[in-house]
Amino acid sequence: MKSLSSKVGTMKALLIMTMYGCFQEVGNLDAQVQDSIPGVTLGLLYESEFYPALAVHPFRGDRDAGEIAREIETIIANDLRYSDRFEVMDSIPLGLVGEAIDYQLWDQLGAVWLLSGSVQRQATQSVGFILTLELHDIVYGTIHEQGRFWLPSTEDRDFRMSVHAASDQLLQWIYGEPGMATSRIAFSRRSEDGNQELYTIDSDGENFRQITSYGDLTMSPTWSPNGDKIAYTSRKGTGFPRIYELDMKSGVERALPSERQGDYITPVYNPNGREIAFSVTGGNRSGIFRYNWLRDCCLVHISGGRWDDLSPTYSPDGKFMAFNSNRLGTPYPQIFVMAAGGGEADLVSPYIHGREGYYTSPDWSPSGDYLAFHGRVARRGRYQILVAQIADSGRRLRQLTREGNNEDPSWAPDARHLVFVGTRDWGTGLMVVDTASGKIRMLLRGFDVRVPEWSPSLKESLGVGSLRTRQ
Amino acid sequence: MRIKDLAFPALVMTFVLGACGGSEPPPPPPAPTGPTQAELDAARADSVARVRAEEARQREAERGEQERLSAARDEARSTLEDMVNFDYDESVITGEAEAILRRKIPILRSSPTVRLRLEGHADERGSTEYNLALGSRRAESVRDFLSGFGIAADRLMTTSFGEERPLVNSSDETSWAENRRVEFSISGGEIVVSEDDGS
Repeated sequence: MKSLSSKVGTMKALLIMTMYGCFQEVGNLDAQVQDSIPGVTLGLLYESEFYPALAVHPFRGDRDAGEIAREIETIIANDLRYSDRFEVMDSIPLGLVGEAIDYQLWDQLGAVWLLSGSVQRQATQSVGFILTLELHDIVYGTIHEQGRFWLPSTEDRDFRMSVHAASDQLLQWIYGEPGMATSRIAFSRRSEDGNQELYTIDSDGENFRQITSYGDLTMSPTWSPNGDKIAYTSRKGTGFPRIYELDMKSGVERALPSERQGDYITPVYNPNGREIAFSVTGGNRSGIFRYNWLRDCCLVHISGGRWDDLSPTYSPDGKFMAFNSNRLGTPYPQIFVMAAGGGEADLVSPYIHGREGYYTSPDWSPSGDYLAFHGRVARRGRYQILVAQIADSGRRLRQLTREGNNEDPSWAPDARHLVFVGTRDWGTGLMVVDTASGKIRMLLRGFDVRVPEWSPSLKESLGVGSLRTRQ
Repeated sequence: MRIKDLAFPALVMTFVLGACGGSEPPPPPPAPTGPTQAELDAARADSVARVRAEEARQREAERGEQERLSAARDEARSTLEDMVNFDYDESVITGEAEAILRRKIPILRSSPTVRLRLEGHADERGSTEYNLALGSRRAESVRDFLSGFGIAADRLMTTSFGEERPLVNSSDETSWAENRRVEFSISGGEIVVSEDDGS
């Protein structure tokens, strides 16, 4: 008993240090109501939620898989930390906790969940590893769930994604909610010559990959509903912005035919996966159009006129569309929602005649409840990330950022996190904000990036995370 | 012009030949009173020099004319390519922009084959995608202005670079003002300079 309490003491000191480390990145969460948009109350109010402690028992690897086991443990622990739902205790030396799982010890340390894992190297070259995860309920002293995951070899380009799929499964076991670990963010990056190419980065900030090399302006990527393709606008070849679609697996690209003059910009997939909507500006008829990729047919005009209807985003059921527009006749764009097929549009962004804000770049949450966009609070002010509830037509807005300049939010597949372009004193980068807690995490620092788009879960399209549960 | 160029030296040549001597046998030489061989040579050299000088003057005149035309075309080209600027967040043609656009009109009228590409730009402030549309609107404003003066809209192709191609890469009011612009490039056709142009 004495040995247990001394063990607990050492462990507590260690855990406090680890947890303190995690909080280094946290932004200012304590700010209260801010009245920066005239007549509109913006809140930075977060519920001080209780996050259960999840401890990670050191993963074990058979034969020579020890190092890989530790690598997998780190990937999963970070995923769980980035999910912003737990106080994660990891990187604990095996000597402190022992091989066997001691529920009493973990209970003393305040853990609610304990994750243990083991990694076996497969004999056949193609399979790679088998990862076995056990999720222990410390309060009840039982195994809550157990699962086996097949991982490719570490050289495989989907190795990390396969591990992320296991992390998302853990979140599913605990909360029954989708995660965001098995996903990527696509964006464009400005190079020294002024051109822009497309890149992707994994949700945990790893795997920074260049997707296009056109030596031209290529921007505004959008993911197909299952993440197997991206579409974007590029000036390559024609000298005018046109829409293209790239199959991420085969690398095959196809161009949307240009049936009319004008710049084709801001594409978005319809959740049905068959159609793509985008804006045409400067042609004979500006506005939002849709095109059927599957039948490869027909540019259909949805909305617009002399004003610019831009940056469309679909509700997850495909029934509605939000966009920004100058249809109120001022130089200040506002956010509107209308039926996906067109028709009358309702104003969502706060509007006071003569004191208009500037709101653009809406993104509809995968849960369907919220619209995220960015807004300029004073006429020559900077931009902040805002979230409006669809149900109350945006009467209440939540402001998620306060520092620097913040643009182009995009929802994670967990419907809880947003990625956006943040500009601070040190430069520009990609940041992730947890809309529940307001915590901000740096994803990619010091690159001149534009218009990020978070993918859906890539589990299906990459074929990762195949799982066999205990029964 | 061409005929004159050829005819003039020919005439001079005949005159020179005539002066050199006729078909009659020369009278007995009382004394060498005629031009000496040296004098004849000098005269010929003198004539040749005069012819050359005249030719050079002609070429000079022609080159001058060509240079004047080419300078006028260059000036017309640069007038057509003169960019216009806009106010912050606006696509309205300012007084200053109007003066610049008005100078393009006579050239576009006298050069009916010339087609222009109007490229709209925005400063770095504002949303990335919205700025593409803003640049587009600026280019359209210019097209509308010019077509209001009878320039066919299909000679004027518009496109926008948004905030992605700044002229000046710094973040202050002066740079922003320079970056909010429509640029013009001649995408086809030949510039014809009319006589009454230059006002």
